[in-house]
This record gives sequence, C-alpha cells and structure tokens, in this order.
Amino acid sequence: MNPFVFHTPTRVYFGENSASSCGDFLRELGGTKVLMVADAFLEKSGALAPLIDSIKESTGIEPILFTDVPSDSDVDCVNKATVIARTSGCDALVAVGGGSVLDTAKVINICLTFGGEVLDYQGLNIIERKLLPLIAVPTTAGTGAEVSFVAMVKDHGESKKLMFGSRFLAPDVAILDPLMIVSLPAKLTAATGIDAVTHDIECYVASGTYSVFTDSLCLESLRLLFEFLPQATIDGDNLEARGATLVASCMAGVAFTNSGVGITHALAHAVGAKYATHHGMTNAVLLPHGMRFNFESVYPRYARIARFLDLAVEASNSIDGNSISSSDDRALAHLLLNKVEALLRQLKLPLNLRELGVPELTDENLAELVDLAGADPAIMFNPREASVEDLTQLLKRAY
Amino acid sequence: MAVFTDTDELHRVMTDLWTAISNEKDMAAQLLSSRLIVTFHYREPDGRLTVDCSDGKEMVITVGDCNKKPVVEMFMKSSVAHDFWLGKVNVPLALIQGKIVSKGPVNKALALLPAIKPAYGLYPAVIEKNGLKVSIT
Repeated sequence: MNPFVFHTPTRVYFGENSASSCGDFLRELGGTKVLMVADAFLEKSGALAPLIDSIKESTGIEPILFTDVPSDSDVDCVNKATVIARTSGCDALVAVGGGSVLDTAKVINICLTFGGEVLDYQGLNIIERKLLPLIAVPTTAGTGAEVSFVAMVKDHGESKKLMFGSRFLAPDVAILDPLMIVSLPAKLTAATGIDAVTHDIECYVASGTYSVFTDSLCLESLRLLFEFLPQATIDGDNLEARGATLVASCMAGVAFTNSGVGITHALAHAVGAKYATHHGMTNAVLLPHGMRFNFESVYPRYARIARFLDLAVEASNSIDGNSISSSDDRALAHLLLNKVEALLRQLKLPLNLRELGVPELTDENLAELVDLAGADPAIMFNPREASVEDLTQLLKRAY
Repeated sequence: MAVFTDTDELHRVMTDLWTAISNEKDMAAQLLSSRLIVTFHYREPDGRLTVDCSDGKEMVITVGDCNKKPVVEMFMKSSVAHDFWLGKVNVPLALIQGKIVSKGPVNKALALLPAIKPAYGLYPAVIEKNGLKVSIT
C-alpha cells in the first residue's frame, strides 16, 4: 500500500430540514457576530429564512447578510465582504450557496482571522492554524466545497484564479439539506452532479495519492450518482434523489480534497478561465476525453470501478446482451467509459466545447488554454504526464 | 541523520546544483522564460536560496538574505529538498501532506516542474563533489 494522508475535519450533518439546525451548530462553535455569505437569489426566494430564524433562535444573533457574490467570485468581492465583516466585528461565518459562495466565504475567513490582504495567503499550506468558525450549507450538489481544503477566486480584473489551499480552510460544519437544493434547475443539477462524478473518477486514479479511504468514498459516491443524478435532474422535488446527490457530492469532496483530481479539471479550469464556461458543464464535455487519455495508464482502476458498479452484469442484461468476463480489465474499463457517456447523453449536457459556446479554437487560443492547463495544480495529480501536444490534441478532440 | 551537516554545506550544494542547472541550455531557457523569482526556505538546517530569472537572460542565484521580492516561495525541510532532487518525492503527495509549503501563485512554480526534471540527473554529481556521506539511490 502506498503512503497516504487522509484528513476530514468537517462535521457533516445530513437530513431534510437540517438547515434549521444551523443555529445550534453556531452556538456550539461560538461567535458573537455572524457574517452570512449567500447567493442573492436565495435571499429573494426566502430560502435563507430557516437559517436566519434558527440562528436568531439559538444564539440571539442577527446575521449580517452579504449577498453580493458574483457567479465567478473575485478578490474585490472578498475584500468588500471582509471590510463589512471587520467593521461589524464578525467572528463567525455561515456560507449558503454554490461553490463560488462557499469558496468566497473561506477566503473571507482567512482575511478576517489573520488580517492583511488576500494575496498574502495565496498558495498551499501557508495557513497553519485554525480559522474562525465557518458553517457551509451547499445549495448545489457537485463542488464538494463544503468539505474541501481549497478555495479559488479570481484575481482583480483577470481571468486567472488565485488558489488557496490548507486543511484549515475546510468548514467546521457542512449542513446537507436536500430542501436547500430542490429549486436548483435541471441543467444545473446535471452539470454540478457531473462535477462530482468527475471528482470521483479523477480522484480514484490520481497519481499515487489515492488511498483505501478515498477509494471507498469515490466508489460509493459514484454508485449514488449513477443511480440518483438522473432522477434528481428529471424530478427536482424528489428529495431522496436530491439527498443522495448531496451526500455523494460531499463524499467526492472529501475524497478529492485528500487525493486531488486530474487532467479533466485542469483543462476545465483553463477553458472556464478563458471563456467563462460553467465548470460542471465543461467537465461534462472533457471527462470522456480525459478518461480516454488516461485509459492505458489506469484501465485496471477503471475496471475496479466497473466491477463495483456491476457494469458487466448490467451489460449482459442489456438488449445487446454482450457477455464480459469479470477478469477482462480493458473491457470492464470500456464499460465505465460507456456508462459515463451514456449518463452525459441522458442528462442532455453539452457534448463538445462548441456546444458549450466556446468560439473556434485558433492556434493562439489553443496555446493559451494549453499554457493555463499545464500550469494548473490539478494536472500534477494526473496519472499520465501530458505534453503540450497531448493537451492540444485533447482540446481539439473535445471541440 | 541529517543530510546536510550545516547551513554552509546546504548552501554550497544548492548553489552548485543551481549553477549546474543554469549551465544547461534547455533547462535554463525554460526557467528564464518564466521570469520568476523563487525563494526556497529550508529548515533542519536552516537555509535560503533565491533564484532570480526576472530579466529573462541570466539566472542569478543568491544564498542567505536577499532583498529581491520573490513571486513564489517554497518552504521545506532540507531533507525533502535532497529527496526531491534525487527524484524521490511525489510532489502532489508532499503538498497534500504539508511537507512542502508554497506561497504565491503555486501554478507558476508547478508549471516549471517538468522543466527541471533533467536536473535530477545532475544532483548525484553535485553531492559527490561536495563529499556528502549520503545514499543517492
């Protein structure tokens, strides 16, 4: 067994209406003034009410709301919120929203705890002690930001993202309440869910960093996602399916934050940074290409996933009725690839970069994307080294 | 047993290594094109080395205090640096384990990893030249 480290500091609380326990957790964690960072539409829709009521009831604290978070958050947003939090004397945070909101809250927490400027803390493992209490309530099921050790926000007026990584960034509590995601539109449900699928698959084959802990999380998370993501997408009110995708996403988050992702994420970050494409949808387009690129290096690992998901049995029971030996790793790995592609079609997600709205890829644009992807930390964890030519060809195929 | 007996020895070895890297045309060209200033902070024994590629023409190597503002700073034990140059460190794992701390735009530093891989081949000779009594296998 390879050496590994596994750490998960976040207490995860799952259940319908669990958001209304936010106040109890806050009381336990301490804090006299709370900054609530949230998506603006949640305030308008009244979805924050159970959380605010719970905080008031349990602690007597009226949270200070900050909802001016763009879909692709940046340093200016962090600075603005930090000033508000400092002047108000906030000493705890509650983040309610998608990945961008949760990441923004994590970076605000750094600045609020230690002072100074955002850029002072850019990097990996710089933060070496505990931050102020942070409770995360995700309203999408995919990013895993409610448990991850990383946060990314855009730099001032630039497309590049700043990365912050430390185990102390992980929220203290993650509240997974299926009721908080029932209003998520079908397309976003599908896209964010595929982000979680991508976390699982890339983490499961990450370069020498996966462990038996992350393996078990990835496998069960994938089982839940393949079973429940289509249902959650078709029927948003299906709380069982919503809950399963939330839990699966969280499991994938714990896994990938301990073991990393890979080439699909590196390319998705690059395409997203340049063309402002949705992260989950970009992963959806790139995942099959990333899997094919890695196939020869990791097909026995793909085959293990396929075995866990009983894909050989599924294939033999299909109309074609092809029988596949349980010892044929290559064939099993192909079944996984087919399963992923079938899921993408079922979810009606974009199947290429053109459908995603990416303009014609000129040589210059390709070179820029390849530079961005080649410098993305995710690429480090990929099991197969990718040359400039490899990345270029992969992008061309994905277009 | 520590790899380096003291700061002087650590500085001597790292200076020799980076000088050797700067003399390798292809490697030096890729590093210089990054225009980065990187400072390595070592501990056990303590040490510091700054590699300045900012003018794009010449790599300037400084040990100890340096008044240049680095773009990226890397912090690690000296033994981790030694293992790294022997090609024995799984960098992603070391980052996850917190054995390597990176301050600044980490992507810029990580992008240079493939470029400096050929330096693994230079390191044993540097070790030998400096008479270190350590295993290099």
